Amino acid sequence: MRWRVIGLETHDAFLNMALDDSISESVRNGADPTIRFYRWRPSAVSIGQFQSMRDEINIPMCMELGIDYIRRKTGGGAVYHDEKGEITYSVIAPEGLLPKGILESYRVICGWVIKGLEAIGIAAEFAPINDILVNGRKISGNAQTRRYGVLLQHGTILYDLDIKTMFAVLNVSKEKISDKMIKSVEERVTRVLDYKDIAQQGLYEGLLKGFTEGKEYYMGELGRGEMERASELAEAVFKAESWSFMR
Amino acid sequence: MDGIAKQKVAGGKLVTVKLQYSGRVDSIRILGDFFIHPESGLEQIERALVGENLDETALSSNVARTARENGIEMIGVTPEAIASTIMMAVKR
Repeated sequence: MRWRVIGLETHDAFLNMALDDSISESVRNGADPTIRFYRWRPSAVSIGQFQSMRDEINIPMCMELGIDYIRRKTGGGAVYHDEKGEITYSVIAPEGLLPKGILESYRVICGWVIKGLEAIGIAAEFAPINDILVNGRKISGNAQTRRYGVLLQHGTILYDLDIKTMFAVLNVSKEKISDKMIKSVEERVTRVLDYKDIAQQGLYEGLLKGFTEGKEYYMGELGRGEMERASELAEAVFKAESWSFMR
Repeated sequence: MDGIAKQKVAGGKLVTVKLQYSGRVDSIRILGDFFIHPESGLEQIERALVGENLDETALSSNVARTARENGIEMIGVTPEAIASTIMMAVKR
């Protein structure tokens, strides 16, 4: 099985999430399993499918700062996607290519992230359910869905951290912090730049290595049909208030 | 009456319940950073809870039954956690 790898691109939040959907549709129709890497411009916050936009996100602050807000198709928590502060990946493949068990498939794909970090000299570990830690602090969050026989997992790798903006746009839960006996987000989150003085491009190259090691793959592009379908889905689904505010 | 409660599931995720009740569940929203596969399963769980007695064991059994009958997989949240969060929302 040959994987299509789409190199680092930058899109807005709506197109990024819609591309995951349109590629899932094309994989369902027989396209090659795909790995893509991307950034978010403008910066954005995404919430999990089962979260409340108004509870999780400071919407007036997002509007003031020009930050997009979007509901994902995957579960999990709220994430601030800083344009310069992270790299996001998506893996879109027939379910049969990965372990049937959800936790096991998280472990496998998160293993590719871990290999990528290892390639730039950072030792990381998988922390079930869906996190990757460096020295006990979270550097990567991941989320997965499976629909019509296609597995989609996407996740972020923190490169830099704009804590001030992150605090401004996310309504961080006190329960979550107190449960882990940790006083602040700064103490439970880390970033590549804390460990390695490397350009964002260097992180991308490391991740590319980690994700492709041992696989037959080619550097591909988005199909015109995938791009057109994603533009439709961005407007019809991801920008729709009925989706954004469904909970 | 209505109620809201939030708790961290042991070894799991955050779950929030927003509830309207009158001896039974009248309407319910379950929110959080957990995972449900398939995602449409959460609405099935919510729908099945409407009309259920405000009894922790009955609520938990109701969620477990809906999950079992519909092939819903819950990750980071459990029927017991949903039931106990509902009861917290009632007590508040």
